[in-house]
Amino acid sequence: MRSKPTGVIFFPAFDWAISPTHPEREERLLYTRDQIFEEGLLDLPEIEEYPPKLATIHDIARVHFCVPRVQSQVTEAHMIAAGAALSLGDSIIKGEIKNGFAMVRPPGHHAMRVVHGNRGFCNINNEAVLVEYLRRRYGIKRVAIVDSDVHHGDGTQEIFYHDPNVLFISFHQDGRTIYPGSGFTHELGGPGAYARTLNIPLPPGMTDRTFHYVVDNLVLPVIRDFQPDFIINSAGQDNHYTDPLGSMRFTAHGYAEFTRKLNPHMAVLEGGYAIETALPYVNMSILMALAGINFSNVREADLDTAGFRESDDRFAQVQKMVEELLAIWERRDRVDIEKIFGTGKFYQRKKFIYYDTDYIEEEQFEKVRVCGSCPGYLVIESRANRGFGEPARVLAISIPIDACQNCQTEAYACYEQGMVDRKQYNFIMLQDKSTDTCLSCDREKKQEWKSEGPKPGV
Amino acid sequence: MYIGLDVGGTYTDAVLLEKGQVRAWAKVPTRQDLLTSLLEAFDKIMAGAHADLIERVVLSTTVITNLIAEKKYDPVGLILIPGPGLDHSHYRYDTETCILGGAIDYRGREIVPLDSGEIDGALARMTSLNYKKVAVVGKFSSRNNKHEQEVFKRIRQSGLDWQVELGHRVAGQLNFPRRVMSTLLTCATREKYQFFADSVLAALDKRGIRCPVYILKADGGTMPLHKSLDSPVETIFSGPAASILGVQALIPPGETAVVVDIGGTTSDLALILSGQPLLSSKGANIDGKMTHVRALAVKSVPVGGDSVVEQVGKEIILLSERMGPPYCMGGPMPTPTDALKVLGLTRLGDLGRAKEAMRMLGRPLGMQTWEVAARIMLLVTGAITSEINKMFMSWEQEPAYRVWEVLQKRKDRPNTVVGVGGAASGFLTQIAATLNCYPVIPPYARVANAVGAAVARPTLQVSLRADTEQGTYSIQEEGFQGPIEDRPFNEEKALELARYWLGKRAEKYGLKDDLGEVEVIRKEVFNMVRDWVTRGKLIDVAVQTRRGILHYIGSGVERDEK
Ligand SMILES: [Zn+2]
Ligand SMILES: [Zn+2]
Repeated sequence: MRSKPTGVIFFPAFDWAISPTHPEREERLLYTRDQIFEEGLLDLPEIEEYPPKLATIHDIARVHFCVPRVQSQVTEAHMIAAGAALSLGDSIIKGEIKNGFAMVRPPGHHAMRVVHGNRGFCNINNEAVLVEYLRRRYGIKRVAIVDSDVHHGDGTQEIFYHDPNVLFISFHQDGRTIYPGSGFTHELGGPGAYARTLNIPLPPGMTDRTFHYVVDNLVLPVIRDFQPDFIINSAGQDNHYTDPLGSMRFTAHGYAEFTRKLNPHMAVLEGGYAIETALPYVNMSILMALAGINFSNVREADLDTAGFRESDDRFAQVQKMVEELLAIWERRDRVDIEKIFGTGKFYQRKKFIYYDTDYIEEEQFEKVRVCGSCPGYLVIESRANRGFGEPARVLAISIPIDACQNCQTEAYACYEQGMVDRKQYNFIMLQDKSTDTCLSCDREKKQEWKSEGPKPGV
Repeated sequence: MYIGLDVGGTYTDAVLLEKGQVRAWAKVPTRQDLLTSLLEAFDKIMAGAHADLIERVVLSTTVITNLIAEKKYDPVGLILIPGPGLDHSHYRYDTETCILGGAIDYRGREIVPLDSGEIDGALARMTSLNYKKVAVVGKFSSRNNKHEQEVFKRIRQSGLDWQVELGHRVAGQLNFPRRVMSTLLTCATREKYQFFADSVLAALDKRGIRCPVYILKADGGTMPLHKSLDSPVETIFSGPAASILGVQALIPPGETAVVVDIGGTTSDLALILSGQPLLSSKGANIDGKMTHVRALAVKSVPVGGDSVVEQVGKEIILLSERMGPPYCMGGPMPTPTDALKVLGLTRLGDLGRAKEAMRMLGRPLGMQTWEVAARIMLLVTGAITSEINKMFMSWEQEPAYRVWEVLQKRKDRPNTVVGVGGAASGFLTQIAATLNCYPVIPPYARVANAVGAAVARPTLQVSLRADTEQGTYSIQEEGFQGPIEDRPFNEEKALELARYWLGKRAEKYGLKDDLGEVEVIRKEVFNMVRDWVTRGKLIDVAVQTRRGILHYIGSGVERDEK
């Protein structure tokens, strides 16, 4: 096992930016490139560099309801970033590499299931695209995603909120002090996936000590319990003490040590905007940790941890939170789900989603079928206001990969019904993960599209 | 008239070209006394030609490669300044290595200054161990050479007359370990190389040849012989580069071809894509270590005409070693050459013995001699063609860091397989058939390397990097760094400045008239944005004289690309 190399796809997208001065711009991975190239890391036998390839439209449609179509929401850069994760996934499953690092941009962990535009610098959720691809193509069952970005991975959480086979753990700066304002301890997953979502909001200013307290006492024990077939790290680096957007004080060494302990199959770069002071060092040390290379000599230029004092009160607060979450995790299969989520055929919630980059306000009404034999299908009614023109109204239905016959039938009936009273919607979409089929209908154009993934084994 | 000269380990080849035609050629053994071999080769090709008519001489050689392979060079001490990053245990070489504290970052900012006591300690250690040659290399020294300069100054102040090589002068590209190797080898080979160059000049002088003399570099370009003393490692692998250029000159322009050079124990493979030899994406690998030497992509496969063939169990297998000449030529073991003989594909050797070799292999398996020969043929061609396919794949699979690079799918397949070298002809038809190509053995294939040397053109490159926020720029190939004077600086000015440096470099190398058309090979501009405000630009441009060759041979057309 140890003799296999670590695969890396480095795709800095030197010709792509959200806008010239946006944090998500050409320059972002420039110094990371300089550092990694000068170190000669890619020449080491422990590391193998792979070229990026493009994800397909269908790979995206399997996860996202893009409005109006996938092509209108993604640029080639998105297809390449997502494709990099898929490509490394292939190499891991084939056994060519022991693990991989998709050091790519643009990032994706704020992208939710329905995509009306860009939120939090993200359009397409690279990790979610990877998970659905691995499940479909290789029959991978259980996946754990650990999000170490300073921002709550709300997109990933939302996509897998009702999925009992995907464990999502995010630790991040407290949502009351930072974008996107979510990720609190009470967000624990839907009725069919209770406690498969765990959030650890951290008070600003915490250091590696807190970081590793959470990792050692919550993240690792929960993962050990969950026994995933595949572990993904959403490797955001904005918890770094020099990040301009976050207020945490983690170091490159802290990130490397975390990577070593988690030992994920794949790390996917998310945020991190201290492009000179953090990214070259954090990216390098994550790569080295994955490859099993000694990273003790990696050090930020201005590192002086002596000045990092964290409040004992806040640390105690985190300890308490970790204890509570661990208790919730341990009781997850014994709790009275009906008591928490109510009774009825459907569990439903209303959501309000704001797209900060594109100034879109979306209202969502989400229903999940509560089913004894499968995770249940999802019905989403979404209405997005762009501040001009008619709002876009969408009916989106998602059938999980392990859906029961009954749920599948009901879900298709729901799609048919949507087509009957289509006046209500501009777009009607369905993704059937059990057959890898995506349908989408545009009312104005009076057109229906269907796409099917490659047959397994092809 | 042009002379091309290839000094190999076994043979020295020479050709005399006149107006794109080979006028004479010679192949003589390379002797201990280099001068004698050179004179012998000259006399053979110069018969009836006057020395005054020779316009230029170009050499290629494996002398340096062999020196390195046989480790026949003086020890070189290393003083390294790696700073933070990989653990220093990675920097272990089989020579004394002193590691100094001190660090420069990716933008050339000094993070940790050098400690003069530590420098003195390193110098004392090298002195006590009697080192006379020392390479000094720092991480990110191409972004700021201050530390390397400080160590150099200290060496001279201490009155040490060592031969010192500084990393930033040898290799300006990113990649510290490769820079260390390049600098180490430069330091190691300079003196021996001087001896080689002197022998060549003496031979020419003895025959009254006083035209400019050039040497071929691994990337297929030439440089004046006297200037090559600055960077002898650039001439490593000029042997394979010469054959590839030779093939380029001997096939029609614009062709995509595979060059197959089958020798006794190894076969060298190279690609010519749409008429242009493929450069290796990484630097040349010398003695198992990566360097910064720009080289044509050459893949060596451990299969050749003299490789040992064995029967193991129910299989016939090809081994990578050589135990002597082929069986049909009195050797101890069956070889692919014996198979060729049985199949009627070579004139060499004794047919009776070749058949006997096949029988030895085939008897335990109940196979006929021709069946065995055909099996061996398949093994050899299979090993070679699968490597050729891998070369195309890895060329298509090279990393891409920009969206347009990923979208612009590279796909090219050869239509011709060109054979050079001793054993190529016998296997060529089969190799070409497997790849669905035409087999070509060009005229003068036996001296393709000397032809390649004769037609090679000078190449010069200049890479400029400017950091407008810091107000500095550097020229990678010159190890120069200085302030930007013409402000505000931009991309156009950067290109203009790079062209100016290229001209200056051409002048220094006595190539002013050969400069010709200048190509821009890299142009990167990054805005440095801090707190939503553009603070400056990082501009990275590279220009070079056009690559190519002077003549296509045999077409009768002189292609002067100036
Ligand atoms: Zn973030
Ligand atoms: Zn069901």
